[in-house]
Amino acid sequence: MKLNVFLGRRTVYTALSLMAFLSIGCGVVQNPALERARDAYNRARQDREIAGRAGVALDKARLTLEQAERVWAEEKDVTEVEHLAYLAEKRIEIARATARRRLAADDIQQLNPQRE
Amino acid sequence: MNMISDPNGELMQPRTKPFRAWIIASLVVLFAFENSGCSTAKPPTEILSRAEMDLRAASEARADEFAPMDLQSAREKLEGSKKAMAAKRYEDARRLAESAQVEAELATAKAEAELTRRAADDLRRRLDTLRAETERGPIPASSPASGKE
Repeated sequence: MKLNVFLGRRTVYTALSLMAFLSIGCGVVQNPALERARDAYNRARQDREIAGRAGVALDKARLTLEQAERVWAEEKDVTEVEHLAYLAEKRIEIARATARRRLAADDIQQLNPQRE
Repeated sequence: MNMISDPNGELMQPRTKPFRAWIIASLVVLFAFENSGCSTAKPPTEILSRAEMDLRAASEARADEFAPMDLQSAREKLEGSKKAMAAKRYEDARRLAESAQVEAELATAKAEAELTRRAADDLRRRLDTLRAETERGPIPASSPASGKE
């Protein structure tokens, strides 16, 4: 109420609608490549095999994804964001392959005592 | 005549105004050029040599055999990067070199994963054979393998 008296009701309403409009605008503008990379990263992070066996590789993917998100938020440079999102997706694939290799290496480790 | 001899008079104004406008326009153009990235992008030599190194590592890890698509794509991007570099398109060259590097790394990771999996499968098969032979009883003395040893 005090604010309304001080600035005038119309000014307050206009300011509020403008803020709401701007925040909606920020939320709507998305980059499909970035969304795809973020989804892929979230899926990989929830996979226990990958998170447990390829943590470092997954961390590299996260750093690239964060860089893409920063560039998108600050510069809206579509070409650079798509490039970084592509790199992030490849890094997630590297994490998947690393997890597969470690799983097979663990199998070998477990099978070796049986051999002796 | 009086107007020319007066250095601060009205006659000077038509000459200084366009001059000032030119200076401002030049500064604006210079600022825009600086910000466009044309003058700031550097040749991505470091990332290019890292991509070449990772491609060699991928070939050594037998990626030709186990991850041919990724390796081929990495090679094409490295070539593209070199061409962009020669044409002084440094931003393109950097992006292509970064893609080539990560694809080469992926090719290596896939090849190593496949080789390790095969080694595990091979070991498992040999153990199964050994276990089956042990369950069947002692190996006969006439076995060719035991005869050689």
